[in-house]
Amino acid sequence: MKDGVKKNTSEKWGKNVKLSMCLMGLGQFFYGQIGRGLCYLAILLLAVVYFVYRGFSDLIGLFTLGTKEADTWLGLEGDNSVVMLLMGILSVIALLFFVFCYLSNIKDAYETQKLCERGGHPAKFKEDLKQFLDKKFYKTVLFLPIVGVCVFNILPIIFMILIAFTNYGGNIVPPKLVDWVGIDNFVQIATLSQFAPTFGRILIWNLIWAAVSTAVNYFAGLGLALLLNKECVKGKAFWRAFPMLAYAVPGFITLLGFKFMFSYGGPINQIITDMGYRAVGFLDIDAKWIARGIGFAVNAWISVPSIMLLATGILSNRDASQMESAKIDGANAFQQFRHITLPFVLFSTTPVLISQFIGNFNNFGIFFFLRGGLYIDGYFLASDTDLLINWLYNLSISNNYYNVGATISLVIFMITSFISLLIYTRSSSYREEDTFR
Amino acid sequence: MKSMKTMRVLDTVVTHVILIAVCFIFLFPCLWLILASFSKSGSIYSFEGFFPSAYSLDTFRNLFTDTEMYNYPKWFRNTLFIAVMSCLIGSFLVILTAYTMSRFQFKGRKTIMKTTLVLGMFPSFMGMIAVYIIMTQFGLINKMWGLILIYSANAPMGYLTQKGFFDTIPSSIDEAARIDGATNFQVFLKINLPLSLPIIVYTALTSFTFPWSDFILPKLLLKEKDLYTVAVGLMNLGETEFSRFAAGSVFIAVPIVILYFCLMKFFVNGMTAGAVKG
Amino acid sequence: MKKLWCSLLISSMCIGLLSGCGKENGETPSGTQEGKAETETTEKSADLSAIYSGELEKDVTIRVLENDTAIAEGYFQEVIDAFNEAYADYGIVAVDANMDQYSNLADDGPYGYGPDVLYQANDVLMKYVEGKHIYPIPAQNLESYDKIPQTAWDAYKTVIDGVTYYMGVPVNVQSSMLYYRKDMLPENWETEWDKNGNKIPDMVENWNDMYRYSQSIVDKGEGKFGYMRSMYDVYFSSGFLFSYGAYVFGDQNTNAEDIGFSAGNAEIGANVLLQQAGLMNEDCIDDSVTVSAYSKLADGTYFATMTTPDVKSLFLKELAMVYENEGMSADEAKAKAEENLVVTDVPRLPASGDLTEENPELIPLKAMGGVNGYAISAYTKAPNACLAFVEFATNYDMIMKRHETLGIVPARSDAAEAAGGISEIMYHNLDEGNIVVMPSIRAVEQIWTPAQTFFQDLAKDAFRTSDKKYGSLEQIKAGLEAVDKQIYDAVHTLATN
Repeated sequence: MKDGVKKNTSEKWGKNVKLSMCLMGLGQFFYGQIGRGLCYLAILLLAVVYFVYRGFSDLIGLFTLGTKEADTWLGLEGDNSVVMLLMGILSVIALLFFVFCYLSNIKDAYETQKLCERGGHPAKFKEDLKQFLDKKFYKTVLFLPIVGVCVFNILPIIFMILIAFTNYGGNIVPPKLVDWVGIDNFVQIATLSQFAPTFGRILIWNLIWAAVSTAVNYFAGLGLALLLNKECVKGKAFWRAFPMLAYAVPGFITLLGFKFMFSYGGPINQIITDMGYRAVGFLDIDAKWIARGIGFAVNAWISVPSIMLLATGILSNRDASQMESAKIDGANAFQQFRHITLPFVLFSTTPVLISQFIGNFNNFGIFFFLRGGLYIDGYFLASDTDLLINWLYNLSISNNYYNVGATISLVIFMITSFISLLIYTRSSSYREEDTFR
Repeated sequence: MKSMKTMRVLDTVVTHVILIAVCFIFLFPCLWLILASFSKSGSIYSFEGFFPSAYSLDTFRNLFTDTEMYNYPKWFRNTLFIAVMSCLIGSFLVILTAYTMSRFQFKGRKTIMKTTLVLGMFPSFMGMIAVYIIMTQFGLINKMWGLILIYSANAPMGYLTQKGFFDTIPSSIDEAARIDGATNFQVFLKINLPLSLPIIVYTALTSFTFPWSDFILPKLLLKEKDLYTVAVGLMNLGETEFSRFAAGSVFIAVPIVILYFCLMKFFVNGMTAGAVKG
Repeated sequence: MKKLWCSLLISSMCIGLLSGCGKENGETPSGTQEGKAETETTEKSADLSAIYSGELEKDVTIRVLENDTAIAEGYFQEVIDAFNEAYADYGIVAVDANMDQYSNLADDGPYGYGPDVLYQANDVLMKYVEGKHIYPIPAQNLESYDKIPQTAWDAYKTVIDGVTYYMGVPVNVQSSMLYYRKDMLPENWETEWDKNGNKIPDMVENWNDMYRYSQSIVDKGEGKFGYMRSMYDVYFSSGFLFSYGAYVFGDQNTNAEDIGFSAGNAEIGANVLLQQAGLMNEDCIDDSVTVSAYSKLADGTYFATMTTPDVKSLFLKELAMVYENEGMSADEAKAKAEENLVVTDVPRLPASGDLTEENPELIPLKAMGGVNGYAISAYTKAPNACLAFVEFATNYDMIMKRHETLGIVPARSDAAEAAGGISEIMYHNLDEGNIVVMPSIRAVEQIWTPAQTFFQDLAKDAFRTSDKKYGSLEQIKAGLEAVDKQIYDAVHTLATN
């Protein structure tokens, strides 16, 4: 097999390329690129050590998910399926990374060969390093973030996605052994009759919530920044300090505080009863739209300061000459805003808008703290202010059904990511990144 | 001319009225929290309407001296350490990532952009199980560095905001510098970095405040009471410790307010001082 | 796999029976320990010898998870000091695990971060049984075995493959008590409010007189109230349902298929709550009363409330502060607070469920309760030392000390008797079956939200001016049936296995 490959390509691939194929870095050595060769060799060694020590068994573990059940009472040490699943994914990632390095090693040798054929000389190690600060600067910079994101972000997500295809949850948690069940979980959810109506209701409310609260927060924040940017406002740092005060108090404290303020015995109701009216149940069982309204308000209270801050920073980057010329042309304040400021701010904050939208869509804390612990009629284990993520929490975490939770989040994830990708790829800040350059 | 003047006066008045209203809205709950922290009674209900029935400084004294059960100074030090380190490492990574994504054209760039956007949509608490297990496997439970590692590693996910900012800095200067023989690294360090003070300050603030007030991750990863952060500690307070809770919450806000006053100068003037565009 | 496990169990039991010895109790700690290990083998839980060799591990540190109050009041330090002194010869040292009192052993233990010994509530501890995160306790061999009533032991009982295990040692009993202000009783209570002449005011003896008295306070229109309680709280409100035949789970709280919040005449009990809510203000709908009761009982806004015995010190603190503000010295205020705040057994209910009935037939209130206790982590390296600690911490002296410093209600009969007062009453209630111990199966996690929603809705109904939801007993019954259904859904719909 290998010979066949060799024959077909022998004219193209020189000796050193083949050497690199056999042993990573060897070809580079023969080109006199000692440093580069050593690097490749080191990667190879690391990979071998890793796979011998645990990578290989981890890889097998991904398929078996454990064969021996632990029993502490008998002193039996067993397999922890969940750990095996996770380490298995990690070993796959490691394997992919290694394959990528191996291919790049061959490509590198081949390119050097071509370079030599054209009469150039192989790059020295020092020049290589220099490249990483210049042409390949992006590689240097992105290396750490990508590794970090892979381990702490992508790995957990893959893990959760795979959980949707297992029976992990309920009674089956370690030390019990978890098993692959294919698409059983999806079938179960699709056939659950109580499920669809609640899902529909919550999804609609969730979309309204995300859209409205994002708009409210965004325009309130932007408006505040513009207001504070006006020439007639003196002592800007002083005025800005008030929203910053709100920003400085941690979110969960704010939420607990607001919950108390709007409770029956809280200060707001006290003022109302002192004035001779009956106490208002702002967040109680009948308070569907009032509670939702309070949700919007509290969320704005928490998020507006940071948007104001961002908008202030971006406004300070605005092209002042453009504003001047507009003024001279006789544009009024609104026209200036509509035609110059808004497009500019919108352009550089579209990503913020999207991440705000996502953040609000998945805003777990707000109704969990404000109005948790209610199941309303007509909803399957949820209340009328719960967002999908709260419902997910009721169904999975507080219930322990991780597999079902993972399945539902996968469904939600597909819906939301589809929507936001659609918006994002059509936005000007994605398509025309050079607009304001 | 006269009407212009009255318009301007009117404008100023209206602006200030709105500002006062806004400030009141933001101040009211905070003021209540501050007053509560000076309440003599520990109970949330020793209030006459909006004001506590009796005032005292005892709560603040207790907060820092009565550390047998609730070691607030220790929590504070832990939180400060975690937040400062995560802020430094995290901001560094975000700024670099955003800059790279804004300035370099390379294979897979758009894919990365789309992927990061989509990744952020996954309900995060579902992944907590995985994060916990990863940390047990790396032996990073009960280690503050473990927490810092996670915060810093997750920070680059939010690079889109910063990228949006870099997109508005004209690339013509970059090219001029490159013709003069500067490397990409130098272009970034000498030209773009000074221009991006506002966004750096914004990034630093946000990446400081997130670990500062987060309580899910520290709760998950720091089991020992000695390692508690302020957020976890406050959530752990007994039900009649309300004024201590309020005092602790007020005090946790102080560093952020100070930070804000220190950084505001750079934040607002960053660009205008750059003298690139005017 | 299971078969293998069974055969192992059986064989180990046989070995245990063959090598059995007589009972023997030594005087020294070590002697006790060895004696225990030997006697274990004669009992039916013989297989525990695989866990407890009987030989104390030397030079080990055991990490103990205690509850926060015990640590704050200094009791825990006393226990570990005394224990460390007694076991100094073995080099066994008990230390504070320094973790959250509610931390979950199932999360921490398998990875080596859990404590060795845990003090938690029975429903929490019993969650750990399924994954065998805690070791069974050789209960029959413990000195306290006969002193603790079987109802308390039952909270820790589990049956695996036909063998009965006890998973923890009960320490204290937690249930509802009535708190009231003695000085707020009417001046003529001895003549007007003591029909049976037993020197105890009628309004704290039965709910009908409490209702009548509350009515008279509210009618004065001074903004004051009689009995107040946050209705949504399942822990306190469910007792009213249990008294009329409701239960949580069938088969003595073990069968999660059968949920019984609407069983029996539960709607009558719910109607009692509805009547009570009529004499409260809106604060009873959410958690306002729970949080405010400390200061509102102190300033005289409320006459009485119902809560657990362990928070007595908080009520006293608030009341003393009120007296201090009136100009008393700290000691005087404290003494007066202790005199005026009375904690007593919960009042009795009318069998008819009608609070306005004169001279009703009375039945006891079956309040929900829990049994807190010690358990041993299955991830400990020193099970014998842990067992020694548990035994030490549950002996008579330590339980009495615990009672004195923390005011807890001991689960031990000898300690409860010696303590007298509330402890004796509550111990009695437990013994008589008037405390419905919280179920020890995992499904119990799912009862709270549905039940809490119902109670909140019920309380709200007292303040609805139009379209009341619970106008008749049938409507209440339907509401309770909906609760059962929700709990059933929460427990079973998603279970694939």
